Amino acid sequence: MAAPLPGSERIPLAVEALSVAYGERSAVDHLSFTVRPGEIYGLLGANGAGKSSTIKAIVGLVPPREGHIRVFGVDAIANGLAAKQRIGYVPETSLLYEALTPREFLEFVASVRHLDAGTASTRAESYAAAFRLETEFDEPIAALSNGTRQKVLLIAALLHQPPLLVLDEPLHSLDPRSVRIMKELLARYVATGARGVLFSTHTMEIAEQLCHRVAILDRGVLRAEGSLAVLRERGAHGDETLEEIFLRLTREDEGLDAAVRALEGL
Amino acid sequence: MGWREAWRISNVAFTELSLQAIYALRQGNSVFGDRAERMVRRARRRVVQSKTIVALVLLFLCAGAAFLLHLAPAITTRPFFGVFVSVPVFDAGVLTGLISLDLAFLWWTGLQVLPTFLASGVLAVLEPLPIDDRTLGRAAGLLYLRLFDLPALSVLLATPLFVGAVLGPGAGVAILPGVATGVAFALALALLTGRAFVRRIQGSRGGGGPTLVRWTYLVLWVLPAFAMFGLVVAAPGLVALVARTIQGGPSVATDLLLAAFPFTFAVLPPLAAGTGSLFLAPASAVVVAIASAGYLLLASASAVWLMGAVRRVGIAPPLAAREVDARSIALFPQSAARAVLTKDLRIASRTPGYAFLILFPALDGLAIGLFTFVTGTGTNGAFALGLGAVTTSALLATFFGPAFFAIEVNAYSYGRTLPIRDSSIVLGKTALVATIYLVAAGLVLGLTALRVDRPLTFFEFIAAELPAVVAAAFVELGILFRRARARGLPIVNLYSGAFYAVLVAIPGLILAALPLLAYRLAPGAAPVAWMGLVAVAELAAASPFALWRSGGRST
Repeated sequence: MAAPLPGSERIPLAVEALSVAYGERSAVDHLSFTVRPGEIYGLLGANGAGKSSTIKAIVGLVPPREGHIRVFGVDAIANGLAAKQRIGYVPETSLLYEALTPREFLEFVASVRHLDAGTASTRAESYAAAFRLETEFDEPIAALSNGTRQKVLLIAALLHQPPLLVLDEPLHSLDPRSVRIMKELLARYVATGARGVLFSTHTMEIAEQLCHRVAILDRGVLRAEGSLAVLRERGAHGDETLEEIFLRLTREDEGLDAAVRALEGL
Repeated sequence: MGWREAWRISNVAFTELSLQAIYALRQGNSVFGDRAERMVRRARRRVVQSKTIVALVLLFLCAGAAFLLHLAPAITTRPFFGVFVSVPVFDAGVLTGLISLDLAFLWWTGLQVLPTFLASGVLAVLEPLPIDDRTLGRAAGLLYLRLFDLPALSVLLATPLFVGAVLGPGAGVAILPGVATGVAFALALALLTGRAFVRRIQGSRGGGGPTLVRWTYLVLWVLPAFAMFGLVVAAPGLVALVARTIQGGPSVATDLLLAAFPFTFAVLPPLAAGTGSLFLAPASAVVVAIASAGYLLLASASAVWLMGAVRRVGIAPPLAAREVDARSIALFPQSAARAVLTKDLRIASRTPGYAFLILFPALDGLAIGLFTFVTGTGTNGAFALGLGAVTTSALLATFFGPAFFAIEVNAYSYGRTLPIRDSSIVLGKTALVATIYLVAAGLVLGLTALRVDRPLTFFEFIAAELPAVVAAAFVELGILFRRARARGLPIVNLYSGAFYAVLVAIPGLILAALPLLAYRLAPGAAPVAWMGLVAVAELAAASPFALWRSGGRST
């Protein structure tokens, strides 16, 4: 087991030269970034840019081809179990144990996270009230809407109050009230200065509102990284929106006008 | 668009269904690093293999029935429970059993595969496309039929051939209406009851009361499958009962029996062979004719209903949650291994395939225990029967063990991100297998112990076998974990994963059987001690394979 690097125990997430491939197709190519303590870090990219592949490698779902992942100094590849104990994860698709109820599912998660009954119950009660889940707490997950499943996953990720939250498109099916709660919750979550959040999205407005720094991925490669202010400074003029910066850096703006014009006749 | 277009659409849908059945991607399984075309090819191959296994089981039943028909003249020279049975009545009894078993097995197979069929959502994808209603209905019907094509065809072709070879070509043709009716009923029942199950059981709330209701419902659910087992065990008694009724001459009871499915059809081959008239009065022949026509009409109606119903069932709205305030939000965490056991039991209580695996050995133990208790078989008889029941419980628990691994495909893409050791999963699932064995054996012990004068030896026998059951579960789960790491989870349900379930169960069955063999062959006066010694040695050898090499890792 690799020993933590000196000083790295405080860094929520350090990804170094990470490469992920599916067969011969490369999904992520030598990606490096760090989530600092007290930071919400956004991974931005178009569909297929490598956001979800990066996240899946971090949480142990995909074996990386190359590179290192450290969670608070723990090597997540060599010691996946220890890294997983420090992570709360929300996947992009809410595929859960359909035959369990939210209560049964959260009880299972609390068990494998070694939480005591008092702590687990208090936290579950608070989150269930915040997300208005009490009325569906004993319904089978198979009968829940996508948004409600997403709330169950969020509660499961937060239940052990992990020092690192890894959220893959966590707000996409939530109602406006829950989105507001999540934004508040994430801001407070990192306010202690010790925790970190990795957040993937392709909704620029959300990234603009929530993230302290963002990484822009394009076909598995890091195109730019920094706060919105830093990215604006690098632009042609200083008042670009994140969407404009994103489209320019990923060259997604090339031929955009022509594509829109082509649709006019339809 | 006609049948040709419907067949083409069902082809595409069946490929998707095969992929979902094997890889369970919509149930949260995750598969990485494999090419899509290869996965599709493998899925299609696996589904064909599974259908072939089911077809082979049905062919085996058919061959067994034909063998009994062939031996009928010799078998009927001895009385059945004090009744001499004529050859045609015996033949009709055997054919009744065969059609019943075919029906029950196909029905049970349908129940195994239906949740995957509904969860795959393949029909819902077709709905918004510009395809007319009739073609969509036909495509859905064909898709459903393709789940059963090999098993159903093997029954429809092999039964007339086997029966014809023994009783003559006329008898072979005469059995066909009965077999076809049985197949139609089985397919319709699977859809009808499977859908009802999804609504009532999968949609059931959590909590003590609903859980109790759910398990009670599941016991009822398992009874038809258990009846299939009971039919084989109680066959001689049933033949004697039928013979006593039929050979007693014309009566209301005879007519009722002749009008009951599938006996109505089972008398046709002996009639066609020219021997049936020996036991069938002309008035009773009218009963058979009317009942046969009625059942054929009902089977036709079932087939027509089926072709329309598959689409309706396939696109039915999902389960709807009711909004009821929870009593409290209190959670009660457990140790990781116990949490795996609890989770599996909770999933099993809403999944008929898994519930069956838990309830079948228990019902077997209960039935045999009750038999010895009620009939008061002599001490030695009860003892032998009890040991036989415990042996069956051990072998059933071991055989069914690998299937519990398939529960892991549910939300596998999420479960793998949790900090849970492989060893906790192995221990949780092994505890479930051991519990099934102990419950089944305990039921036998509880009821049989009252009839034997050596209850302690009986208890020792159960305890001595326990390490072997655990060792068998360890080895089976160890194999499956290694395969899961290398190539993803292989088993989705008993039908689509029958190939692996049978393959992996073989070493487990050997381990479970060795101590039982030691008991039989042991020298000296302490066979249970020898048995226990072998079982403990097996456990010592199997533990490192399952626990140590996977202990610190998470899949």
